[in-house]
Amino acid sequence: MIIMAKDRNSLVFRLVITLFVILVINFFLPRMMPGDPFSTTSADEVGEEIIVMTEEQRLYYMEYYGLDKPVHEQFLIYLKNLMKCDLGKSIHYKMPVSNVIILHIPWTILIVLGSTLISTITGVILGTYSAQNRKRGSDRIMMTGMIAFAEVPSFLLGLILLLIFSVHLRLFPLAGAITPFAHYNGLAEQILDILYHAFLPVMTLSLAQLTGVYLLTRNTLITVTTKDYVRTARAKGLGEKTVWIRHALRNALLPVVTRVGFMIGIMMGGVVLVESVFSYPGIGVTLRSAVISRDYPLIQGILLVIAVSILVCNLLVDKIYSKLDPRVAV
Amino acid sequence: MGLLKIKDLKCHYQTDICSVKAVDGISFDINEGEILGIVGESGSGKTTIALAIMKLLPENTTISGEVFYREHMISSLTETGMDKLRWKDIAIVFQNGLEVLNPVMKVGVQITEPMMKHLDISPDKACAKCADLFQTVNLDPKWMDSYPHQLSGGMRQRVLLAMALSCDPKLLIIDEVTSALDAFTRKEIRDLLVELQKKKGYTMLMISHDITFVSSVASKVAVMYSGKVVETGPVKDILLSPRHPYTRGLIHSTPDIFIYKDLWGIPGDVPTGVDFKGCPFSPRCTQKVKKCNEISPDLIPIPGGREIACHRGGIANLLKAKNLSYSYHLPDGQYLKAVDNVDLEVKEGEVLAIIGQTGSGKSTLAHILANVIRSDSGEVLFMDGNINKQNYGKNLNGIQIVFQDPFSSTSSRFTVLNAIKEPLDINKIGSKEDRLQMVKSALELVHLPAGDTFLSKFCGELSGGQRQRVAIARAMVMQPKLLIADEITSALDVSTSANVLRLLKSLQNRRGFAMIYISHNLYLTLKIADRIAVMDKGKIVETGNSHDVMSSPSNEYTKRLVNAKIPV
Repeated sequence: MIIMAKDRNSLVFRLVITLFVILVINFFLPRMMPGDPFSTTSADEVGEEIIVMTEEQRLYYMEYYGLDKPVHEQFLIYLKNLMKCDLGKSIHYKMPVSNVIILHIPWTILIVLGSTLISTITGVILGTYSAQNRKRGSDRIMMTGMIAFAEVPSFLLGLILLLIFSVHLRLFPLAGAITPFAHYNGLAEQILDILYHAFLPVMTLSLAQLTGVYLLTRNTLITVTTKDYVRTARAKGLGEKTVWIRHALRNALLPVVTRVGFMIGIMMGGVVLVESVFSYPGIGVTLRSAVISRDYPLIQGILLVIAVSILVCNLLVDKIYSKLDPRVAV
Repeated sequence: MGLLKIKDLKCHYQTDICSVKAVDGISFDINEGEILGIVGESGSGKTTIALAIMKLLPENTTISGEVFYREHMISSLTETGMDKLRWKDIAIVFQNGLEVLNPVMKVGVQITEPMMKHLDISPDKACAKCADLFQTVNLDPKWMDSYPHQLSGGMRQRVLLAMALSCDPKLLIIDEVTSALDAFTRKEIRDLLVELQKKKGYTMLMISHDITFVSSVASKVAVMYSGKVVETGPVKDILLSPRHPYTRGLIHSTPDIFIYKDLWGIPGDVPTGVDFKGCPFSPRCTQKVKKCNEISPDLIPIPGGREIACHRGGIANLLKAKNLSYSYHLPDGQYLKAVDNVDLEVKEGEVLAIIGQTGSGKSTLAHILANVIRSDSGEVLFMDGNINKQNYGKNLNGIQIVFQDPFSSTSSRFTVLNAIKEPLDINKIGSKEDRLQMVKSALELVHLPAGDTFLSKFCGELSGGQRQRVAIARAMVMQPKLLIADEITSALDVSTSANVLRLLKSLQNRRGFAMIYISHNLYLTLKIADRIAVMDKGKIVETGNSHDVMSSPSNEYTKRLVNAKIPV
């Protein structure tokens, strides 16, 4: 019992340390960028108004948001507020950071989880198929195609999909997460509209992640099928299907689970570009505009949320893994 | 009725570089209720046979020949057809390894799984049956809920056994079950198998390198070497009188059979199955002839229901002595019968110890065999030639003797070089350079320096141990097929004699010559002898496997000899 308690303490301890390091980076990194929230000199988007403030106005706002204080003092205030679950106030949106995040994060969660689900399931199925047909034509073609495909960056892939399906074929919307000013007749219609808008971003992210899962599944399966326990299962005359699914795949999926956990983290980063391409109102686009306008509190808030969600994902993966693999269970 | 019939089975693993002949032309039958053991070193292809029967060989294997299970021809069955036979008819107890069982499944589930598939029973019933099986293999049923990594090696082996028994197979293949087990568990598993066979009459194919284990369960045994069967026969006969040199080597390397002897394996390695001509054992064989390097021998029946694959018909006789007698003429006109009607046989590559107390006639016998003195009656045949007609001491590959006292057998006034070179000089063997080379390699064999300084030393300058080794080198320079060592350690102190003895045995093991080791020290000879002949008053009173003679002496004199040990 003592050892277990100690272990748990050390896990909590590790998490606290990690979180603190993240907080430090989150806080200082934005402030190391040139400029500040009130001296924006260029408009990124066409049609955006450029407000050039006078030095007096600038100083006034700096004082108002407490940015004139020494940096270490600002950091302590930030930490203190954070303890009270106060993420601060967005300079750009003029409202609490938490509200901004809550407004945008569901969309990101939707496409990240959706694409994780799709790429994992498809990757595992294709990988299994490939492993079963190893060294035959279909496996070779699939593998070559997948590897070549993996080299295309996700934003470029998004652009191509956008051009083909939205611009030329007009099958999917160009931007947004819902049809503006739409009136839905029931929940089903609303869900359908959301899925319709999310389709291309989800596809882009899924395709970008697919090769990783596919290759991992294929290669692990091929290794696993040479293991003695697969031979044992065959010897028991269980039939190919049971051998592959219950004995081989079950073991081969262990590293895939780990990978999916990390994948979510990677996608949180990649989502910024993809959301920009599709003008999808998720947290990625919000982060981008926050960076452009040097909205320190918002940048900090979003980065913190992303970091925490990655940490949570990793923890979850650890938990799930120990459920799946009795060898690592305590 | 034959349950399993294997006809000229060949399994060759094809890799990118070469093909490995794991199984190379094997035929055998197993009748219902019979237990056949297959023994052989690792890499001899035993497991491949098991996998071939189960049709589980990897895809890169080319298989020829036939495996019949009842009327089914295994090779013509589809996977689905084979799945119907697997586990229900033919089950296998795999060799215990970390990954033989699925690491992420509870062992109970892994056992019930085939039952539900083949016996068509409900999960509950399967579970109940699994608990029974656990009891059968002496395992607490509570372990059903554990994962393989939570079990010890012995427990995992029991699980594997329970798993194999789950569908009551007709044929049980047991692959190397004892390799990772301690002595207790090994015996328990053995008793379990014997009991199971008695109760349920399983037909079994036991595969193992553990010849004692196999022979304690099986009724018939096949010895495999490099993908071929080299000897088959009833277990008892093979164990007591192996005919193939490989079988003998295997038995001689088994500590359970030779409890007192130091362990000496068969020197060399199994040829790796690449295009190898000739008998696969020939590189390690001590009695090979030219033919052995050219043609691979077939398995030929010999009397006693046995079969053997050897061009020389099994272990050959090297020396055969019949009715040897020798009397010394005493000054008082009487005759002392030193050797009295002695018959003796020495096989190729064998170490025969002749023990007896001083004055029992051992040395006289040795001298007769080495043709130093001539017997009054009887004859000695060496490789089927009479030693009196053709002096085998004169040629290479003949008989050489090392005498008891190195101080009188090597002249103090000879240099080391001259002492060792002498037999070559006298018999005019090789050129001058050849002789020097032969002397040097002989010195290396006996772990003495072969430099010029040492060569030009006088024998008188050497210590007792060194001098005895020079005497051994002098014998070795003639590359004997039979070396007679006559009390060679009795003039040396304990440590030196231990060194000399080990040296001699390692030479014998490596070079494969036969040896007659004469000594009065029973305990010393037990360390190196395969067979012991006990001599008393000129007669050989008992011969046998050295361990048997030691543990259960039948002769009164031998008993006294065994009991003459001074308790410490």
